[in-house]
Amino acid sequence: MTSAIALRGVTKTFGQTVAVRDLDLVIPQGALYGLIGPNGAGKTTTIRMILSILFPDKGEMSVLGRRSALEAKDRIGYLPEERGLYRRMRVGAFLSYVARLKGAGGDDLGRRIRGWLERVGLADVERKRCEELSKGMQQKVQFVAALIHRPDLLILDEPFSGLDPVNQRLVRDLVLEEHRRGATVLLSTHVMAYAEQLCDHVVMIHEGAKVLDETIAEIHSRFDPRTLLFEPLQPGAGAEPLGSVPGVERVRKAREGWELALAEGADPGEVVRDVAAALPAARIELKRPTLEDVFVQLVSGGAGIAEDGGRLRASLQDGAGVEVRS
Amino acid sequence: MSRIFHVAVREFLATVATKGFIIGVLVTPLMLLLLVIVMPRFINAPPPRVAGEVALIDPTGEVGTGLRDYLRPEKIAGRRQARLKQIEAATPEAVRQLTESSPQAQAATRQALEQAAGEAPDLSVLALDPSTSLEQAKAPLHEEEGKNRQGAGARLALAVIHPDAVTREKGKEKFGGYDLYVRGKLDDRIEDEIRAGLRESILVARVRASGLDRGLVEALTRVETKESVTVTSGGERKTNEVVNALLPGGLMLLLMMSVMTGGSSLLTTTVEEKSNRVVEVLLSAVSPAQLLVGKILGQMAVGFVVLALYAGLGIAALVSFAMMGLVDPMLLVFLLIFFLLAYFTMASLLGAIGAAVSEMREAQSLMTPVMLLMMVPWVLWMPISRSPDSMMAVVLSFLPPISNFAMLLRLSSTSPPPMWQAWLSVLIGAAGAYAALWFAAKVFRIGLLMYGKPPSLRTLVRWARMA
Repeated sequence: MTSAIALRGVTKTFGQTVAVRDLDLVIPQGALYGLIGPNGAGKTTTIRMILSILFPDKGEMSVLGRRSALEAKDRIGYLPEERGLYRRMRVGAFLSYVARLKGAGGDDLGRRIRGWLERVGLADVERKRCEELSKGMQQKVQFVAALIHRPDLLILDEPFSGLDPVNQRLVRDLVLEEHRRGATVLLSTHVMAYAEQLCDHVVMIHEGAKVLDETIAEIHSRFDPRTLLFEPLQPGAGAEPLGSVPGVERVRKAREGWELALAEGADPGEVVRDVAAALPAARIELKRPTLEDVFVQLVSGGAGIAEDGGRLRASLQDGAGVEVRS
Repeated sequence: MSRIFHVAVREFLATVATKGFIIGVLVTPLMLLLLVIVMPRFINAPPPRVAGEVALIDPTGEVGTGLRDYLRPEKIAGRRQARLKQIEAATPEAVRQLTESSPQAQAATRQALEQAAGEAPDLSVLALDPSTSLEQAKAPLHEEEGKNRQGAGARLALAVIHPDAVTREKGKEKFGGYDLYVRGKLDDRIEDEIRAGLRESILVARVRASGLDRGLVEALTRVETKESVTVTSGGERKTNEVVNALLPGGLMLLLMMSVMTGGSSLLTTTVEEKSNRVVEVLLSAVSPAQLLVGKILGQMAVGFVVLALYAGLGIAALVSFAMMGLVDPMLLVFLLIFFLLAYFTMASLLGAIGAAVSEMREAQSLMTPVMLLMMVPWVLWMPISRSPDSMMAVVLSFLPPISNFAMLLRLSSTSPPPMWQAWLSVLIGAAGAYAALWFAAKVFRIGLLMYGKPPSLRTLVRWARMA
């Protein structure tokens, strides 16, 4: 399989700051990749280098088989994080301008624009000026602008920011649709839950360096569950019987019931059975590590779900609407 | 190429198809029309007829009769008629033909001129006894001040003739004159009439006293002046000093206006694209250099619209006054060339500034040096067009970006430089424009995605070296 994007040893510095450090990245054609990491990790810089908006200080790259994205710009769709519209321009005129810049003019351009606007639920805005639209509507117009020329490679930088849950779902469906059509998708986000629910494969960046590059399935099997969630049948029951179960290292009060940390080498299956025997349970659940847990674990040197991860965690969560997958 | 074209088309439409542009471009000629056609109609309401007396203290006894005769209403009216005829004679042939073609227009013009001249005042001359004291004679001038008293007997002015006004005192080279006292708020045209009358009657008295013939003196001192004729290889033509003086200034104004219209809207749209954050979407489709060139070309079309509109108006005016022969067609070619050079230079600099800042407000400090540069031709317009071959003029016409303005001034002056100088200036101007474009392309590449503190000029230069 040929790669849509390949970076080898790419480094970019701004003055004293190293934004991206010796990054290797290969994205196969047709893949749906997530580029994740907290704010300021170097995601946007990486994307801008892929698009040849910025140029790396060191390293090699190829995009869609070309040495630089400049030679393949018409085949790339890009939704920047800092995105805007011409305020005074009409929506239809803006989309047709962007499409023409991408070499996707043609006689049926007007029809295609109307089709796309209908698809995102903005059928009646073609003649409106961009400044008359709400922020969410503008976001959708920008999304259409990235897709209007049917790109082979779609790069989305924080596509969900500022959207309500309904529109987040709409954008997610469109991304999956483009993926099914055969486009390679690279999606960058600091909200790891989005990536976890949408992508096949994630690349995690922290302080400009890659810390993880695996499929979601691999991550789930590598970072096997070390925590049990236990909810007692009787709400007031004491936790003492649980602490003495073999393989349980620590018991901690959770919002509903307790979190049991498993000892090194303990078999989760056996522990679940023993815990169920020790105390009548309303619910016992093996808690899978989220991408967020994995990330915090990776960057804080395997210290687990420790307190120093709290700040990092805060930067990885979006206030609301984390639920993307329906 | 097609991307550059799309950028240029958008840039052009986004600038021209706005109310601001249409109003701005059309309002200026309309204002001029208003000034030329409508304003005189408001001014030509006839002034009230003035009547009153001019007191005269004349120890010589020679001036009174002449003054009285000079200030007779029919004489005043006669002189005004004569002046109207002179104005008419000085009117260009084309205008006269235009007005004579319709009797209506003719009547209107004449009426307007007559009204502008004002109705002849009714002035009587009262000779006072030479022994009257000055204070006593002056008293009526300030009596009942503020009531604007008029009519027969109201004293408007007092003229005191010096005793030696007509015959010199022995041993003195100069004649005496007169003192004139007027009341407040006297129409200055009446004061002019009185002065002229005093001058004329003293003159006549002096000539008579010297035993000379007034008619002979007048004939002796009069030499007819005629319009000069410019001799060129293409034939002879009447020189028109007004056009000669206004042509360089007009051309430079035209050049500057079209350059600044295009250049400043380039700055505005660049800052807008940056502050709107539209620029990153654009950069995913075009390279910074393509974006810059597209924008410059689009705004060049805007500047060209302005240039064509005003140059067209100017040419139409010259053609209608049958003075087109005064403008060398080559001058229009140079106007176009220098427009392109000056525009590319200024637009590149302004575009670079637009790319460097995040908001229009921040552009101000960087604009200052560019605006100062634009001021230079303004300041030096007069010196250059007066002595187009001076050292300063020659040096400035090879110093971009001022060279584009300075050379145009010299070319349109009365003593144009040799052609090799003009083409050398074009060459240097082109090099300057290229350098500015190169600088702007570098700044564009780095600046478009930079936000935050606006850079200083030094930082811009560093960016240009870095990119």
